[in-house]
Amino acid sequence: MNIISETILKLINLSKSFGKLKAVDKINLEVQKGEVIGLVGPNGAGKTTTIKMIANILKPDEGEILIKNQKGNLQNLVKNSRHLIPQGFLIDIPSFYKMTAYDLLKYFAKLTDYPRNKIDDRIDELLKLFNLYQWKYTRVDKFSKGMNQKLGIIQAIIHDPEIIILDEPQMGLDPKARLELRRFLKILNSRGKTIFLASHLLHEISEICNKIALINLGKIIKFDTIENLGVNLRTNEVIVNILNDIEEGALPELLNNMIQKLKPYLIKSVNLDITEQPINYSPLTKEFRIYYNGKKESKAEILKILLEEFDSDFTVTSFSQPRTHQLERIYEELIQKEPRRSQLEGGTGI
Amino acid sequence: MKTLNYLSRELRPISYTYFFILKKQWKKFVFFAIVMVAVGLISCVLPNSLISGNPMPENLIEYLNDSIGGGPASIFSYMLIFAICLLFSGIICSEYDKETGFIIFPKINRYKLIIGKFIANYTLMIGLSAIFYFIALLAGLYYYGGPIPITIFYSFGIALIFIFSVSCVVVLFSSIMKTVNITIVSTVLVLLVGFSIVTQLLILISPEIEPLYSLDYAGRLMGSIIYEDFPTTVEERYTEISFGRFAIRTWQTPTILAGILIMLIYAGVSFTLAAIIFKRKEL
Repeated sequence: MNIISETILKLINLSKSFGKLKAVDKINLEVQKGEVIGLVGPNGAGKTTTIKMIANILKPDEGEILIKNQKGNLQNLVKNSRHLIPQGFLIDIPSFYKMTAYDLLKYFAKLTDYPRNKIDDRIDELLKLFNLYQWKYTRVDKFSKGMNQKLGIIQAIIHDPEIIILDEPQMGLDPKARLELRRFLKILNSRGKTIFLASHLLHEISEICNKIALINLGKIIKFDTIENLGVNLRTNEVIVNILNDIEEGALPELLNNMIQKLKPYLIKSVNLDITEQPINYSPLTKEFRIYYNGKKESKAEILKILLEEFDSDFTVTSFSQPRTHQLERIYEELIQKEPRRSQLEGGTGI
Repeated sequence: MKTLNYLSRELRPISYTYFFILKKQWKKFVFFAIVMVAVGLISCVLPNSLISGNPMPENLIEYLNDSIGGGPASIFSYMLIFAICLLFSGIICSEYDKETGFIIFPKINRYKLIIGKFIANYTLMIGLSAIFYFIALLAGLYYYGGPIPITIFYSFGIALIFIFSVSCVVVLFSSIMKTVNITIVSTVLVLLVGFSIVTQLLILISPEIEPLYSLDYAGRLMGSIIYEDFPTTVEERYTEISFGRFAIRTWQTPTILAGILIMLIYAGVSFTLAAIIFKRKEL
């Protein structure tokens, strides 16, 4: 995927309070065209409030939301929401007027100026894609939670928007539908769409997003790629699966040997919250977990050394870097150590 | 040409919303249409057909006035208020209560949304009141023969203004209240009970003050305008019937101008306030 460096959405010192509660606190964020950004944080961190402000449902107390307009310039959303490039939103659990899926989608497509002669084809295409076609003329109050969620995603993209902003889109979807959604978001991204995804499901986020914005207590704690966040936090790891198990007696010596050979590429000081040694072995899964310094070159060197110098000890069957696991570590380090809003003030759902 | 294009672009979301709401509300419309037919039969036909010796009004004008009425004794105006409450009560608060606003607000300007919804529901109300007028007129012509009095059309016009103003009040309540049910209960209480209680109290305390604050009172114009010799003086519009120590004092009808003004002021103030509250209300 090519990322063209062109700012499409910019949040400047964005703040929002509800009474004494500071839900969003001076958030700054810049989204480039074609990026997939994940807004990750615990419940009550300020994800939905941020999205509601971008959707112009809530007015910010302070700060600016700049979105690209049709002339290619950044335009202040709060002052003038006309002529902006098309955006699609899914906020919270979707709730619809009690009409058929077709009637609703047709109305939404018309409101968002989708070409009238193409509306029916577009509705059919999306309903088929999300396996809702047979319920096209069924009233949505008869839909299950998962079907409603799918319809919520469809209404967000019915007009083929440039920016797609989804708040917990996986909510209520079964594993198959989640997989399909992920695949579909990747397709959209490959077509140059910019996607902004809020979630606390790290696995979903790590599979799709180029960049992660970690949010807690209304503030962006970090905003970077998963890899860069991992480098900063020294939590990068690779998993090496091997063919045969290692004898228990030979394991300590082998681990020492591996640590010696791979030393230049391993993390310098071990985070004791995560591991006691830079290399661990799990007999159950027959895998080594290697904590390295996060550099791409190091990863290549580690693989090379394992294949060349430990050929007689084990046979490598796979060598991978689990993004989800990595993101979990980052999340743990950055967010779990900080207090949550619910712990501070006893509130959630912001 | 540019202005026309601009206007068309600006009005399009309103027209899409208009037709969408018409489609959404058609079942409610059918239900109320049946109720209106029933009410029409009950108030215009049944008393004369079922009750033997029931004195018929003197002429068609009296008959239409009795059937349409307006004010506290009119089944028709009660039905109008009920129908308006049920059709309009969710116009704003349901977007928040049922959270449909999360889907719709990012797609359409809130003013355009409320205007589209309002006009659609108002159209349905016009249809419902037309059904009642049609039955009343048909029954009147059956009992008394023609010609059709021109004042029945004036009455229909006043009914449309009355519907407009009551709808605006319901929309205002809908912008303030949190749920549809609370909106329905509170508007029915205010419009059907609240105004009457205040008027009764005022009559006891100071009967010479005309209840120009009351929408209910302004609604009486629907019936009184049917008379060709519309009462214009205070003496004609204010009656006092004494029973020994007691006297029943009633303001029969406002003047045409006052009645229309009351309704339009209610409509203007209520709708403006509702639109401002709706625009500022956060979801």
